[in-house]
Amino acid sequence: MDTMSLPDAEAVVARAKLGDPVALEALYTAYSTPAYNLARRICRTTEDAEDVLQETFFEVCRSIRNYRGDGSIWGWIRSVTSSKALMRLRRNKYRDTDDLTDELAPSRAGSHALRMDLESALARLSETSRAVVWLHDVEGFTHEEIASQMGKTVSFSKSQLARAHQRLRLWLGEEAFS
Amino acid sequence: MTSSHLSMDQLLAVRDGDRSEPAFAEAHLHAADCLRCAAELDRLHQRTARLRALPTLAPVESQYPAVRGRLAWERKQSRQLLLGALTLTTAAALLLSVVGRDLIRPTRLDAEQQIATAMTSSQQLERALRQIKPDERVLDGRTAQVVVQIEDRIAGLDAQLADVATLQREIRLQREAQLWQERVGLMNALVDVHVTKASNVDL
Repeated sequence: MDTMSLPDAEAVVARAKLGDPVALEALYTAYSTPAYNLARRICRTTEDAEDVLQETFFEVCRSIRNYRGDGSIWGWIRSVTSSKALMRLRRNKYRDTDDLTDELAPSRAGSHALRMDLESALARLSETSRAVVWLHDVEGFTHEEIASQMGKTVSFSKSQLARAHQRLRLWLGEEAFS
Repeated sequence: MTSSHLSMDQLLAVRDGDRSEPAFAEAHLHAADCLRCAAELDRLHQRTARLRALPTLAPVESQYPAVRGRLAWERKQSRQLLLGALTLTTAAALLLSVVGRDLIRPTRLDAEQQIATAMTSSQQLERALRQIKPDERVLDGRTAQVVVQIEDRIAGLDAQLADVATLQREIRLQREAQLWQERVGLMNALVDVHVTKASNVDL
């Protein structure tokens, strides 16, 4: 990601650490789309995702001096983004529709007419399950990292991932899983 | 394991090579032997690949102007607080050097001079205090209590200053000089409290 979006990432980061506004904007330009994509996949609305994006780069610009360069710059920005997005989820906890999906899911099982595409099925998952499946299976976070960011246990992260896949499987109209 | 198939947790452990899962080795062997579980594992891989292949969502408009605006506002606030704190600290230090010297060697000034100096110092401190707009600051309970106590004592001194007007001139001047110097001391303390608060906010 670094080399694709920002070929001279190291030099840009060095300038950003000195407060160079051009370098800071270059970081935004390079990584705002993947950061927004991550935020949007976790958050329920585009407004929340835009807020997370803004919060993320505000934090990146303020804290770039603390970035030690241990991992890639995108890895660091991605962690900030997921942390902000999960914080947003906690703030909007009342919106979680986990119970609702639990009730509705069985009635849809096996119905080819109600088969969903992957986007719809993903959107239908509870916010927590969706966040875990996206962070683990797409962004490559470990269960330990997810548990740490969510303030939960590793078991919780693993069970949420299994739950998410069971539902996706069901809603995507794949063969019944026993 | 042969009579039952792998759960989603076990399939995920096999997919991810998660050896911390109980009976991982057994599950791994089962997935290799059981056609149904092998097919399930394949579907799991395919679903994951499809998730990764979903289109990247991009923001409709740039959020960077808002980020830049917030950064500029924050920098401006920090500068103002720092400048205010430095100005007040310098003013307080200067005044302390003048008033402190007067307090140590009061005989060098007669009572009228002491009153004039103390009044000027008091006015300067009040101006400095107005600059940091103490009414617009949120104080914690303990600080607010200290501020109220100092302000009460200043009000008490002001009342005593009004009362001494009836005394004989010589006694009145000495008493006024003493009260004004006490007032400057309290004003200094009040400014210190607010400057400290401003420094803490800046941090």
